[in-house]
Amino acid sequence: MKQLSIVDLSGAIVVVALLALAPVLLNSNYFTGVLTVCVIYAIWAASWDFMSGLTGRENFGHSLFIGAGAYTAGFLATVWYANPWYSLPTAVVVAVAFSLIVGFPTLRLRGPYFALAMLSASAIMQRLCLIFWEYSGGEEGLYGLDPLIQSPLHYYWFVLAILVAAVAILTALAQSHWGLLLRAIRGDEATCQAAGINVTFYKIASLTISAAFAGLGGALYAHYQLQVSPPLFSVVVSITVIIMVYVGGIGSIYGPALGAIMLTLLTELLRTFGEYRLWVYTLTLMLILFFLPNGLIAPLWRRLTERFR
Amino acid sequence: MLEILIYGAVSSAIYAMLAVGFTLIFGVARILNLAHGAFYALGAYAAYVFTGVLHWPLLIAAPLAVLLVALFGVLMERFLVRPLRYSQLAVLMITLSVSLAVEQGLFITFGSEYRNVPSFVADKISIGGVDIGGQRLLALIAGVLVLLLLWLFIQRTRLGAAILAVSQDPEAAQYMGIPTNRIFSVVMAISAGTAALAGVLVSPFLTVQPTMGLLPMVKAFAIVIVGGLGSIPGSILAALLLGYSETIVAYLISSSWTELVSLVAVVVTLMIKPSGLLGRRAAF
Repeated sequence: MKQLSIVDLSGAIVVVALLALAPVLLNSNYFTGVLTVCVIYAIWAASWDFMSGLTGRENFGHSLFIGAGAYTAGFLATVWYANPWYSLPTAVVVAVAFSLIVGFPTLRLRGPYFALAMLSASAIMQRLCLIFWEYSGGEEGLYGLDPLIQSPLHYYWFVLAILVAAVAILTALAQSHWGLLLRAIRGDEATCQAAGINVTFYKIASLTISAAFAGLGGALYAHYQLQVSPPLFSVVVSITVIIMVYVGGIGSIYGPALGAIMLTLLTELLRTFGEYRLWVYTLTLMLILFFLPNGLIAPLWRRLTERFR
Repeated sequence: MLEILIYGAVSSAIYAMLAVGFTLIFGVARILNLAHGAFYALGAYAAYVFTGVLHWPLLIAAPLAVLLVALFGVLMERFLVRPLRYSQLAVLMITLSVSLAVEQGLFITFGSEYRNVPSFVADKISIGGVDIGGQRLLALIAGVLVLLLLWLFIQRTRLGAAILAVSQDPEAAQYMGIPTNRIFSVVMAISAGTAALAGVLVSPFLTVQPTMGLLPMVKAFAIVIVGGLGSIPGSILAALLLGYSETIVAYLISSSWTELVSLVAVVVTLMIKPSGLLGRRAAF
């Protein structure tokens, strides 16, 4: 397997150091908040990429796991008044349970069918949140979560540490024998099956891992916003994550994470454009689709570091 | 009872118009068009501009709206989708960005508030003691008529035969001298046109606002999955099933549950018979 090169490692250290120091240098609570959201999106994008980027099964309902994690944190805080620290492991467990429930029937499906099934599953959850408003708080959602860590700066560092751990774990998995198998499934599922690989097991296991990190990110988001609401389950969230992965470079884990950070920052900068913001955003996406079909960040990094390898 | 029968038929007709266009472009060109809801919204807004603002008669406004949206669809297919057809995900992403751009464009030009389109037919018609708005009846009749014409067009004309041939095997069709790319444009025009017509027809009695396309598109998805991706009779059958079950659910439980019907139908179909009711291609 490909070993982690010194160049990649030093690149990663520089980026993480920059991210860790940025809020200290800028010293503004607003900016720390923006960066926290960036990093949470990065966790979501990296987790999406692990399953969908490697196996080539595009998951258009990642928000299902994100929302499940966030609502778990919300219920724990507002119904059972649990210690907020319990919400992270519980969110992971719930998201994994969701991935198993959804994964078994849908992962046999091919191409667009899996995408549509996941999209519908997340849309059903969003509707259920509105229908059972007595329990889920309806449109307003659940309020009054406690922050995990009082200081926004410390919370940002905590979330950043989780992102680094998530990217490290997912990259290690992706570069192991496991990742190779997942890529093989993307290449030709029938051949893999013929070679005696338990394709269903690997697909479901990768969806489970992907869901675990998405749920963790959801809980982190809930404890940052201090409230959860049905739009967390919405198709828009899933699609935003997919766009971030696409811009970062599909299948590279670190690319989507950086893509998420870059696009979230871009959205913040574009606030000055007011209502034209989304146009600029979609135009960027179209340009990338046409001129950089492999994405922006990961191919760029590969090209830049080519000569040092 | 009769109420359910009539209202169910109206929503089935609208759903069928949306779903047939959606399944046609998938069946023929393998384009999973996420901008389909945008065509529907554009049709409704065109109806608003032509009849509500410019006060043109319906007989000029409706065809013009359909033509404009069909042209938009053809241009989108030609310049945005065709260069990216090598990758399914890229097609999904580009049609998605078109739909986002359209939604945002409508939002910027018209604002987020609901727009009212003056009614095309003011009279109420009473059928067996049930009062039904002329609008809805018009939508029903137009929908059935369009589907019938479309069926005749595909089954009886040379161009229709070419479309069928391309849907069965694009490469073989090309070898037989069928200009595949031109067929794609024709199908895209039909698909966008029917979606726009559905938008025009519902505009007087449903809310016209920028995000109106999303939910009908999710339902068109649902219908197409239940009926079988790429099968036109399948989508009409599924549209009837969904239109009626939604109306029944709305009467028996509450209208907030109606959207769940289609989504549950999708999940159940995908679990039990992923190729859909009348789909020929297996989903896995």
